[in-house]
Amino acid sequence: MVSNGSQDIKAEMATSEVQPDNKTRRYDRQLRLWAATGQSALESARVLVIGASATATSILKNLVLPGIGHITLLDHCVVSPADAGNNFFFEGSSIGRNRAEEAVYRLAELNDSVQARADTRDVADVLASDQSYFFGFSLIITHNIAPVLLKRLADLLWSNPSSPPLIPVRSAGFLAEFFVQFHTHEIIESHTEDSTSLRIDKPFPALLQAARELKFDAMDTTDHGHIPYVYILVRALDDWKTAHDGLPPQTYAEKQEFKSLLNAQKRTLDEENFDEAVAQSYRAWTPTITPPHLVELFADTTIPSTPFGHLLAALQSFSRRPPHVLPLSVTLPDMKSDTESYVRLQNLYRTQAAEEREQFRALLRVPVQNELVDLFVKNAHGVQLLKGACYGALDATPEKLTAHLGSLTRETATHLAFFALDAWRSSPPRQSGGPTDSELREHIVSLVPSVELDEKEISDAVGEIIRAPTADLPNVAAFLGGIVAQEAIKMITRQYIPVNGYCVIDLVDTWTGVLPS
Amino acid sequence: MIKIWSMKKNEEAAAKRKPKTSAAQIRVQKDLTELDLPSTMVTHFPNPADLLNFTLTITPDEGMYKGGAFIFSFVINMNYPHEPPKVKCTQTIYHPNVDLEGNVCLNILREDWKPVLNLNSVMVGLQYLFLEPNADDPLNKDAAEELRRNREQFIYNVKHSMRGGYVKGVQYANVLT
Amino acid sequence: MATTDAPITNGINYPDWEDRYYHVDQVLDNPGPRTDPDSFMAGDGVKNFLRNQCKILVIGAGGLGCEILANLALSGFKDIHVIDMDTIDISNLNRQFLFRSKDVGQPKATVAAEYIMKRVPGVKVTPYYGKIQDKDDDYYMQFNLVICGLDSVEARRWINATLVNLVDPENPESLKPLIDGGTEGFKGQARVILPTITSCYECSLDMLNKPTTFPICTIANTPRLPEHCIEWASVLEWPKVKGDMKLDTDDPEHIQWLYSVALERAQEFKIEGVTWSLTQGVVKNIIPAIASTNAIIAASCCNEAFKIATSSAAYLNNYFMLIGTESVYSHTFEHEKRNDCPVCGGESLEVSISESWTVERLIEMLVEKQDIQIKKPSLSTPTKQIYFQAPPQLEVATRPNLEKKVSELVPDGGDVTVTATTLPFSLSLRITYT
Repeated sequence: MVSNGSQDIKAEMATSEVQPDNKTRRYDRQLRLWAATGQSALESARVLVIGASATATSILKNLVLPGIGHITLLDHCVVSPADAGNNFFFEGSSIGRNRAEEAVYRLAELNDSVQARADTRDVADVLASDQSYFFGFSLIITHNIAPVLLKRLADLLWSNPSSPPLIPVRSAGFLAEFFVQFHTHEIIESHTEDSTSLRIDKPFPALLQAARELKFDAMDTTDHGHIPYVYILVRALDDWKTAHDGLPPQTYAEKQEFKSLLNAQKRTLDEENFDEAVAQSYRAWTPTITPPHLVELFADTTIPSTPFGHLLAALQSFSRRPPHVLPLSVTLPDMKSDTESYVRLQNLYRTQAAEEREQFRALLRVPVQNELVDLFVKNAHGVQLLKGACYGALDATPEKLTAHLGSLTRETATHLAFFALDAWRSSPPRQSGGPTDSELREHIVSLVPSVELDEKEISDAVGEIIRAPTADLPNVAAFLGGIVAQEAIKMITRQYIPVNGYCVIDLVDTWTGVLPS
Repeated sequence: MIKIWSMKKNEEAAAKRKPKTSAAQIRVQKDLTELDLPSTMVTHFPNPADLLNFTLTITPDEGMYKGGAFIFSFVINMNYPHEPPKVKCTQTIYHPNVDLEGNVCLNILREDWKPVLNLNSVMVGLQYLFLEPNADDPLNKDAAEELRRNREQFIYNVKHSMRGGYVKGVQYANVLT
Repeated sequence: MATTDAPITNGINYPDWEDRYYHVDQVLDNPGPRTDPDSFMAGDGVKNFLRNQCKILVIGAGGLGCEILANLALSGFKDIHVIDMDTIDISNLNRQFLFRSKDVGQPKATVAAEYIMKRVPGVKVTPYYGKIQDKDDDYYMQFNLVICGLDSVEARRWINATLVNLVDPENPESLKPLIDGGTEGFKGQARVILPTITSCYECSLDMLNKPTTFPICTIANTPRLPEHCIEWASVLEWPKVKGDMKLDTDDPEHIQWLYSVALERAQEFKIEGVTWSLTQGVVKNIIPAIASTNAIIAASCCNEAFKIATSSAAYLNNYFMLIGTESVYSHTFEHEKRNDCPVCGGESLEVSISESWTVERLIEMLVEKQDIQIKKPSLSTPTKQIYFQAPPQLEVATRPNLEKKVSELVPDGGDVTVTATTLPFSLSLRITYT
């Protein structure tokens, strides 16, 4: 069997006749993951990062290396001796100079094709006087900025559904969390590992006919041992239905009987194609249906008026017509077969898929770019539309937090500790020194007053925060640099599925968890 | 540093120092010394001190290849048993599942290799090819075609090839014992 | 292995500027709730060990290695060694951030070491451009910790076995924690191996994904996929046409040849999809690799190294795996040690015998031993066979040894490996003479 990765490469690089150019060679290892479509999305993206901390520059490093289009780093502070000690993108000589400029200078060296800009203004001033600035980016990331400013920025972006997504990152010592704020997020290439239907249960006419026409008995042993299992199953199911009032095997006993009928067709004990048919026989009784997540989406009345929304509407119309399936995928898995039979079978699927793609296109009420239609149809079974939430919304819903405390105890406890740290930082008057255990616990109790907290989890989290409330540890920064950049890439490329909610990280016991918002 | 050593002392059965023999080598020793081969199969080590390179001679005592001695080379690398041994037939032989370069079509030598298999399973698999040549998934297409179409002719070709004769313009090695 | 009073040998004399370690010191000056108070020497004690005494080895200066070196340097490790046998390729530049276009063709270890020393003053990085197998036990013995960022199963098995074998019950310093990381696309794992105490790399060998291989008869006869055509070119046609010339998958001309041959075959069979990149991917078994996943896994590895070196917090017990394709999923668990692991499992016996004992006598003793139940044992030393029960040629060749004295074949304190069908894997004997 071939992985999806190689299928994508085949599609994306089908024209390369000679050794690829330098750019393709440079990006080879990532193109095998997100292909040219993902790369071009990355190259068109403009990312704003606020705060030139070690964590922030680590995130940027992992966006500059794969070739993001543009970065702006916004920071008005100067490099401190502590900054020069924990940030790879500062040197001793950076001390006293502007943090954004110093970091951008060294980040830009990583990749010539990235446009990199330092903005030395104070984010507070920008928020006060230049709000449209933020709408010029495709994604905004912050690290440990003042809670009041973060709240203002998050609210500003949330107020407009077409704003860029926001990823606020928080860390202290060995603990961290980040949130992904977006209204909706459209994904066509989800790269889901669920296999697509081969329509064994609902064979299209050409497939059924081809399967029926094969003369198994007249074949010599070589040909018989190379019949693709798709034909074997389609035929066996066809025969079965004829004998069972048009119904597929349903009970356990019937399924076993179906399998033994397949086994009985074997000429020799080790006919691999019949073994494959038995292994794949679930396809005969698993109905090809619209995946539940799509049924749910179709039921949603607020499908956006974007090309993706139009495609989704057409997909709904398509799936409403008999035989109530999604357009056929062209990808046929490898199976025991001679070349000729396999290529013929592949062509049957291709022809049918092309036909269904045209039927799909005819159902579009608003015209959509051809390539996008093709991409959408090819990935139809995995398309997703995520609905996100506003940063801070979870903290405003104590009943949700309470529920999370029951099932996601350590994640919620760590999140509450960060909430408390922010509340402490925002509450005047600020004492000298860091927060104390009791101060943080007071903030937690005031948020979820009526809940019995898990003492161990709370003290583990609070204890680590008061130990190192302002520490941006190099390894934690590097970890966040990777994991946040990864979410940024998923958001930008609209491939794979990003975190929806908080991702909470504990690098003492080395775990991560997700807290849905 | 964490006090690993104190953890070690708490271990019930503190492991003792182990010899500097690689896992691959111990595994090969285990495989070889536990070989249970019929008299039709004999291993030969050109250098008895080198367990990773040797040959296996198969002399079938039944079937159409009876009377021949077929020699396979085994090369084992340090990634054994994560990787299978590399096995080739050292002679040009007329067999549907062995090509003229000595490549052998045996599933457990490639796609179905698992570390739980051992040298014994490979050798038994090789011997089976001489008892039951498989015409349906061939490497030597001409031979397979013949076996399918005309078994008598095929057997004749086998005998002829084993004497060092030509079949369809290809001269085969004399493998008679 | 608490801090030792060994003299500082690395000769580093770079004064740290004030507040250089403002961030790291927050966790070195105070314990947290999950810090073991008995081993954590808060303040100067732990800082002195980390910055002046601890010596760490990084194996691999590639995708993980570059990240690991930077993280260690910033964390306060000052005596770092790095081994890598590769040179820099253009396809490394999308993630190996210590390298630039001008460095292509240079040894990774050397370029990485220079870059780190330039960017993080006071850190000494000693590169070795070569194979890990070039180095002996004395070399590995000098380190407190080893971090591995490799893409080769074979190299990992080697270093794992080497560190397990290094453990000497008489010498606490011989136990070197091994931290291993690996990535593939959006997925990765980091683990902590305490040789002979926790599960080792060999214990988990069956968890590895096997590279895709295709039946050779499919390749020869019934190709269906472009990959089949490519393997036909590389596995069957290359040796046939090129004879003994070795296929160099890094040589563009070789790839070009395979590509044309594969393409021709694909056209003959009406198979679509053979491309230059796919050809390269199949023959080199290329695994997708991105900066972000490497950053996550390298950071996990370094974080464990930091916690183990400083005792500042609990450390990973013992396996962390992460999948980033669908939200962020991770699983932290204890991988169990295997009793039949050929490297760290199995029994060991101290055997004290008279110098006059013959091999035959030793074998009789083993067979008679009630507690181990060995039948038909075969014996060898790391360099030679002592007695093999099979195959016949080797039995005959080793039979004369039965009469010989064990002391002629095995030095005092030497090791003997025993295999037998009745043993789960093998038994090690440590022979001493009375």
